[in-house]
Amino acid sequence: MASIMRCVRAAASRPSTFSRIAQANTSMRASNWKPATLARSFSSSPIRDIRKYTKEHEWIDLNADQTAGVIGISSYAAEELGDVVYVELPEEGREVGAGDAIGAVESVKSAADINAPVACRITSVNRLLEEKPGTINQVPEDDSHGGGWIAKVAVGEQGLKDLEALMTAEEYTAFTGEEH
Amino acid sequence: MALRPLTLPLSITRRIAPLSRPFSSSTVSHPSNQIQIYISRLTDPYLNLSIEHFLLQRTPPDSFVLLLYANRPCVVVGRNQNPWVEANLGLLRERGVLGRLRRDHFQNGGDGSGVGYGEGEENDILLVRRRSGGGAVFHDAGNANWSVICPPASFDRDAHAAMVVRALGSRLGVAGCRVNARHDIVMDIPSSPSSASPILPRSSSPPADAGGERESGEASQPFKISGSAYKLTRSRSLHHGTCLLSSPHLPLLGRVLRSPAAPYILARGVESVRSPVRNAGVGSLRAFEDAVVAEFGAMYRADQAGVKVQVLGGDGDGEEGVSEEAVRGIPEVRRGYEELVSPEWIYTQTPQFTFSTHPSASDPRPRPAAPFRMSMTVRHGKITEASLSSSSSPSSTNLDSEFSLLGKHLHLVRDWREYIPGARGEWLNGIFGGGGDDIGRDNTKS
Repeated sequence: MASIMRCVRAAASRPSTFSRIAQANTSMRASNWKPATLARSFSSSPIRDIRKYTKEHEWIDLNADQTAGVIGISSYAAEELGDVVYVELPEEGREVGAGDAIGAVESVKSAADINAPVACRITSVNRLLEEKPGTINQVPEDDSHGGGWIAKVAVGEQGLKDLEALMTAEEYTAFTGEEH
Repeated sequence: MALRPLTLPLSITRRIAPLSRPFSSSTVSHPSNQIQIYISRLTDPYLNLSIEHFLLQRTPPDSFVLLLYANRPCVVVGRNQNPWVEANLGLLRERGVLGRLRRDHFQNGGDGSGVGYGEGEENDILLVRRRSGGGAVFHDAGNANWSVICPPASFDRDAHAAMVVRALGSRLGVAGCRVNARHDIVMDIPSSPSSASPILPRSSSPPADAGGERESGEASQPFKISGSAYKLTRSRSLHHGTCLLSSPHLPLLGRVLRSPAAPYILARGVESVRSPVRNAGVGSLRAFEDAVVAEFGAMYRADQAGVKVQVLGGDGDGEEGVSEEAVRGIPEVRRGYEELVSPEWIYTQTPQFTFSTHPSASDPRPRPAAPFRMSMTVRHGKITEASLSSSSSPSSTNLDSEFSLLGKHLHLVRDWREYIPGARGEWLNGIFGGGGDDIGRDNTKS
């Protein structure tokens, strides 16, 4: 994800709903946060070792043995971008470095790059987003089937190193609070 | 973000800075170049967009950059749009088509201004896919482009459209302009029966926003003069827009931007929204440039800085500028250009779509009658499914046709009769604009 705009929707209060809820439940997994308007239940595992965030508003979840992960864009970013109308998915099999543009989302006439949070190889992409790009607005941090995750990735040594520079959920919440 | 106060004396001149390489990767990326202003006199749309992309990638992360340019005639579609839906590709493939359309139009009661165009490149219409989002627009020498690159923290969808409104209003005396809810600049024109424009080019935003246009009451009607699009990268944000100053082609836009294939195509991605347009009525591109440069300068306090306007290209009329050759010689510009002119970018970047001659469960829209049944799926520009039926052809012939189309890139199907003989191929040529050459590539310099 890239820059987020301040004046997209002047009516939206700050900090965002997401930030406020996340601040109230800092120990809660961000991906398990569920807006009241969403009735769907999550099938993903409630116990994860690591979810980290970039300043550019991507998240990455690593599995327990730290070899594979899922990436997506944050609830904060999804809200700021507005209605997502198209998602350019990453190319499967591609090896990328941290910060490389791997895809893009379009909303409100804006094409925003999605960047790799860490060095990784794209192993699969969320094809649901091709047909239902709005899923990103509804459940951007859901990494389960039907969620708004972007891609599954394999992570090696460099990726794990890159991970150390990323923010925890608490740090990210504080960071997005500062942006406003 | 707090702007860095600038203390150098202002001199906006049309002279290049006295550097050995005034426009290069190292110059534009130099941290001291906090404010940069460029006017391109080059008219190749692929080149101007590549210059813009180069500046987006290379200028310092905390700098503010203005680029102004006007392209030769072209249809520019958004990053995630479908050219078969957004443009009449048959017309775009016709050499000198603008000249012909103008003659046709002005012979039928037009005012005759500008008649006499030759068959040069100014009468061809190129097809361009830009890197930013949004909808399809027509460009020509009377439609100016303004482009602002700034740090992500300063990004605001309306701030620079408002800057152009100020340039038009306070400096050029164009009254009644404002930024609307769709981030376009509209001009409110008092309603009169004759003021309605028949032209409906496009922007892309949910049509639901259009209701907001009525806020000014029934006494005036808004006409779009400028549309916006954005590109956000990791470290930079780009807002660019058009501004219709004095395009002579407004009466022709409907034909150029209306595709005969559109009723049969169900596309993912972004569809344009048509809006009534008009010219701002500014006769001089130079006057517009001066006004926007002055507003940009005021906004970012370049008025106290020694920021010089750099001209790229130059008009050959005493104006000193960086040569076109030097601009094209910049490796990043060249790479960006090669990508933009490639059929892979222009066509195969198209989001998946289906074409079907008849309504179906997934696409029940009524559509003009077709002389036979056909459907196909096109993914990454390539035909991945095709099915044909006709009472007059034996099914084995249909199978052969289907088979020959599978795996073909749609843009490479130039003459449908090679795949589907007879009247059906003929009809498809009419729908997809087949049977001609593509003028895009060979008409551009590289």
